Amino acid sequence: MISNNKFFIENPYGRWVRDNLFSSSSSAFLTFFAGFMVIYSYRGIVGFILNPERMWTSVTYNMKLYMILAYPDEAMIRVWLSVGLALILGGLSIGFYNSGKSISLGGIFQKLFTISAVIALLIALAPTNTNVIQNDGSIEAVEIIPQDVRMLILGPSLVLTLAFFFLRNIKIKNLFNTAKVNLTYFGLIIGSLYFIKIPTISLDSSGERIIPDPFLPIASTTYIPWTILYVGMLLFFFIGSLLKNKDVKIMSRLIPIAWFLCPLFIFSWIFKKPLVELNTVFSADIPSILVFGIIGFLIIRFSDNESIGVYRTPINIGFFILSVVVFLLPLVFIFKATMVLLLLLLVVSPAIATTKEGKRQLFIVWVVSLFVLTFLIRGASSDTMLVTPTGSIFGGFSLTWLLAIFGTYASFPLGLALALGRTSTLPVIRIICTGIIEIVRSVPYITWLFFASVMLTVFLPAGVEFNLIIRVLILTAFFSGAYFAEYIRGGLQSIPKGQYEAANAIGMNPFQRIFLVIVPQALRTIIPTLVGSVITSFKDSSLVAIIGLFDILRIGTSVIPAQSQPVVFIGRNLEQLVFLSFFFWVFTFVFSRRSMKFEKRLGLGER
Amino acid sequence: MSKKSLLLLLILSMVAVACATDTAEEEVVVEDEHDHEDHSTLEEVLERGFVKCGVSGSATAFSETGADGSITGFDADYCYAVAAALFGDYSKVEFKSLTSAERFTSLAAGDIDVLIRNTTWTQSRDTELGNDFGPTTYFDGQQLMGRNSDGISSSSTLADIDGLSVCTNAGTTTEKNITEGAGLVGATITLVTVEKFSEAMDKFIAGECDIVTTDGSALVGRRAVNDALNDWSIFPQSPISKEPLGPVYRSNDSAWGDVINWVVYATIIADEYGVTSANVDSVDTDAFPELGRLFGANDGELQTVMGLDAKAFYNVIKQVGNYDEIYSRNLNPVGLFREGGANDRWTNGGLIYAPPAR
Repeated sequence: MISNNKFFIENPYGRWVRDNLFSSSSSAFLTFFAGFMVIYSYRGIVGFILNPERMWTSVTYNMKLYMILAYPDEAMIRVWLSVGLALILGGLSIGFYNSGKSISLGGIFQKLFTISAVIALLIALAPTNTNVIQNDGSIEAVEIIPQDVRMLILGPSLVLTLAFFFLRNIKIKNLFNTAKVNLTYFGLIIGSLYFIKIPTISLDSSGERIIPDPFLPIASTTYIPWTILYVGMLLFFFIGSLLKNKDVKIMSRLIPIAWFLCPLFIFSWIFKKPLVELNTVFSADIPSILVFGIIGFLIIRFSDNESIGVYRTPINIGFFILSVVVFLLPLVFIFKATMVLLLLLLVVSPAIATTKEGKRQLFIVWVVSLFVLTFLIRGASSDTMLVTPTGSIFGGFSLTWLLAIFGTYASFPLGLALALGRTSTLPVIRIICTGIIEIVRSVPYITWLFFASVMLTVFLPAGVEFNLIIRVLILTAFFSGAYFAEYIRGGLQSIPKGQYEAANAIGMNPFQRIFLVIVPQALRTIIPTLVGSVITSFKDSSLVAIIGLFDILRIGTSVIPAQSQPVVFIGRNLEQLVFLSFFFWVFTFVFSRRSMKFEKRLGLGER
Repeated sequence: MSKKSLLLLLILSMVAVACATDTAEEEVVVEDEHDHEDHSTLEEVLERGFVKCGVSGSATAFSETGADGSITGFDADYCYAVAAALFGDYSKVEFKSLTSAERFTSLAAGDIDVLIRNTTWTQSRDTELGNDFGPTTYFDGQQLMGRNSDGISSSSTLADIDGLSVCTNAGTTTEKNITEGAGLVGATITLVTVEKFSEAMDKFIAGECDIVTTDGSALVGRRAVNDALNDWSIFPQSPISKEPLGPVYRSNDSAWGDVINWVVYATIIADEYGVTSANVDSVDTDAFPELGRLFGANDGELQTVMGLDAKAFYNVIKQVGNYDEIYSRNLNPVGLFREGGANDRWTNGGLIYAPPAR
């Protein structure tokens, strides 16, 4: 009997196997059954991927199409700048928020041991043959991994596994900072771009395909920008570390703001290349900043004025009516957007502008946000200068990002507002918010997408037309906003009543009670659910393929399998589906891993 | 500052905001509803400086998106030809890739000027939907494909598929045609419906169905790509449906419709005379007066009356090519040839025919 064997009691590995895999007869059965299923499907997948019928060049050759669709070649620098901005910010935050955790050399070897052992196991288990269906319907077995090739890979990986097995017990006092180790891993990946070769297709100057297809090294237009971006990332990592050592406090506020503004800046200015005319800047933007700057100054200056207390409610109502009027009038978009910001200031101001210092800071924040908002809206609402054959610069993965990021951005405040509205004591607001949440949540996303693409134009006044992407964005905001609202409501209900009472007891006004006491605690408890919801909306964004937007899924399933020139990729849809599954998996996996670390740092579930 | 003056200042600034109207740069595009009625699409397009052409973007050899995002193909070439006729520059096209569900809505809403998206000319589409169809550029028809090893040959008929399973894409006329056709000859078939034709093809290759059916052009293309000329047969010889494909434009817009029609006719006439983009400069207009009139040799009165440049059709042939060039460039690589088919010249027994230019 397995449990009586000495190995399974004394040896730590043996104990683990006994305790975890064969603890009872039913668990032994489950272990064998699951193991068989995993190995069987793994062999099936490998057979599918290495099948000579597959044409993986259809993926590699169309990589640019996948990422940016028809983005013009001469403006590629803008794409790299967009990626670079995110990487630089990443480097800066890794440096600044470096937790100082370290890993020993033995720990690194332990990880490498696991990786190489898994690789050796996978290669040992890989199938030798796979079935190819001939045109006449007969099935023929084809060798996909010759024995010598298998040995050629298996040998070194076994040697490495053994080497790491002994090295992992090494006792060296040197500790390595985890952040630096991770950056080195990233660097190794970038460095490998110089050496690895991928199957792709090369065409000569007349557009004729050069045969035979060799494995080609990665183009210099790919690895040179990545190298530059990596160097930039390293540079900002060290700047971040320096700022952390110097203890520059303001950075801990600036970095989150920069992360928030970065996608907005990328999509409105860098990626888009907006056509900005100076006369609109002078006729709309500068007057807007001046007017709202003065109004904001007055609001901040007199918000705690005793004598104005009587007029506060009429003024608030007046501003609300005015903002509705501003929205209905055919005004410049900048005025409408700034009006929303002004309403926010009107609410915030009595709580913050209580001292002279508070007023000064709020005014600075107000002016800066006015400039930032105007700048972003000027970029976003202008026409683009880029010319593409399809008329839209967003397509492929850039469209997926656009939908995912802006879907989240717009839906979060909307969800928060709906959740607060649903828990409100005012019946009208509560009924409206509950109605919106329940209606939006009880209809499938695809139905809403069709609503956006076909029906929304019917509901809008005659002649008013939104771009399809904007319509989808508005709709996504409502859809994921309704889900967010329910998550946030769950968080709100988890806050004990004593918190509300305590906030009341120290004389906080309703705004301060909600936003300084309740919401921060509520959000903290629902971070895992929110991350799950963001991942869902990232994946759901591929559904827009159904209503005719060229996102990454539509390119893979419709566009590439239709290509006949210059290379015939007709009917190559299975390869695309495999690639897309892998691609989405990588992003969502990394994302959920990061969020798990984030949860740990916040100490969730430990309080 | 007193309360009153403060309120006054607030109100004044509100008024200042409310007065700053600048509708020109609105994100919301406010279109003039009567635009389409008062002006011809032709004037609108000429004023705009480029033509908006609705294509599929994922139809093999008709309008496909290349690895660099450019759009090529038989339908795309006719978009280029329209631009060449209007502006003397074939590149003045903005493509809009449309799904089959949204193509007519998009045309009716004015998002596109002309729809060249392998669209079949049918009575209901022509009469009920407010569209007009231009001359047919490609005569297609639904056919079936099966394996020779299952006893199928190119001389098979619908009766031969009795008891076999047939793969097709769901909810299309393709599905309706095969069900009706099989019912008429009394063949019982198992219909396997999938969303896209490529999925039907995957099932056919995997042996999940014996027969696959769609438009003949797609079947010929897939047979050529899979190198199965000796293994798969396409039948019956005369297709089970008529699928004339051509450009579509909005009804009641004859000036614009004439331009589209005559761009197509010009490519066909040039093909009849054997005028290609290579030899269009050396055409003897005295020996062939019809070509002279078409290419604007004698003031090009025929073109200027239409609101085009005298050299409009010369530009079409010079920059895009004649019908045969457009056909061979896009359809020969996927195994579709003109010889002996419906798309051959009328003088060779085909259906490609144009009225005379005079």
